[in-house]
Amino acid sequence: MRRSLALLCLALAASVVGAEPATTIRAVDLKARAASDAKTIASLPINTSVDLVRREGAWVQLRSGKDLGWAKLFDIRLAGATTGPTKGGSNSLGDVLGLASGQRGASVTTGVRGLDEDMLRRAQPNAAEFDKLVSYASTKEQVDAFLKAGNLQTRTVEWLK
Amino acid sequence: MQHRRHRIAASAAAALLMLLPGAWLSPPAHSAEPVNPLSGFSIGGFNVGKMIDAAKDAQGLGDISEPQEIQIGESVAAGLLGAAPLDTNAQEEAYVNNVGRWLAIFSGRPDLPWHFGIIETESVNAFATPGGNIFITRGLMQRIHTESELAGVLGHEMAHVVQKHHLADIKKHSTQGLFLDLAQIRGGGGLRGDAARAFARVGLETYARGLSREDELEADAIGVVIAARAGYEPYGLASVLQTLATVPSSDADMALLLKTHPSPNDRLVALEQKLPPWFDTLAKPNPALARFNQTFKPSSASN
Repeated sequence: MRRSLALLCLALAASVVGAEPATTIRAVDLKARAASDAKTIASLPINTSVDLVRREGAWVQLRSGKDLGWAKLFDIRLAGATTGPTKGGSNSLGDVLGLASGQRGASVTTGVRGLDEDMLRRAQPNAAEFDKLVSYASTKEQVDAFLKAGNLQTRTVEWLK
Repeated sequence: MQHRRHRIAASAAAALLMLLPGAWLSPPAHSAEPVNPLSGFSIGGFNVGKMIDAAKDAQGLGDISEPQEIQIGESVAAGLLGAAPLDTNAQEEAYVNNVGRWLAIFSGRPDLPWHFGIIETESVNAFATPGGNIFITRGLMQRIHTESELAGVLGHEMAHVVQKHHLADIKKHSTQGLFLDLAQIRGGGGLRGDAARAFARVGLETYARGLSREDELEADAIGVVIAARAGYEPYGLASVLQTLATVPSSDADMALLLKTHPSPNDRLVALEQKLPPWFDTLAKPNPALARFNQTFKPSSASN
């Protein structure tokens, strides 16, 4: 029972919304496992169109034709990236997920206006809303329970240079 | 097998509990002081980076006390909330506060009165005020898929607070007289008084103008370390930037973010250069974090 639950969780954690179209931004060695010392199963040139199957930390699992293997997150850009080497077509990730603002039903139904410079300059302080913000603060007990449930293990990490 | 698994989990939980009481009040020693980054890891060959001074005072902010910083921050927060109200879903707000308050322990300034809120606007953005108020917009939450991604964004905003980026900008654009009025915020006027209103105006102007490119890239680099220290895989922020890079720059919801930040692609390039290869070892899958999908279901976007 416990084991099947763990497997289910694992499946949930790894799940993505279908495969996401992406492009390599450099020549990439596709690895058999998510590890630098794993066997290289294919070498992809720069600007290769791939499908991102799933993410795992620093690594992404990519499908390129018949090959399925692992590359670094930084080796790719998702299709539709405006500054990436290729432009996504009409079926880019953003469109599939309905992320492009023109296609996101939510933005129409909520009627909440975007936060632009003009709004920032005209805003009047809302003290009652700030009190509400304070009321949402977590207690020590809540954070304790939250991090225990999340199995978060603290680590020693130096600030980056 | 099951029994053994259970015992390992129990002892890990016990170890965490032992760490906690002290951790809440003060940061674990390892996050406050420069330490050997190799301890606890077999990651030979890493070139120790230079510690970023967690509360650098090279900005000449020594004359602003922490209580003053907090009062200024509360004024700016009230101002921002005047522009976009809080999400009223208490479960979502609690989730963001739990992640944020845990991260804050590793920020270098754990004792600030940290508050976290989702604000209702389709704009894709996040904001930090001096003194530890952090906001993330609904529009950005809709593009976040995991708790590690959320931790990356909150870590970035937290870094602005720790490095006093906004405070420095607010000071630069305020008169000396305004600072003399600070006492009025506590003295009676509160967040409804003239001084709070004036600081809100200056602070919101900072959001409209944006910080420097250097401040933003520094916040990215500090943010990933805060998230990594707290136990999150440190590529969450990079993952969010990957997603944001796919949103067309013509999208109105991205306008302010793009005007006030380096492009997501530039930030990815800069971040990749800063992350040492051994960071890979910090990116272990954590199935427990699938809980994100229970609170932030895809359908919650339209609620």
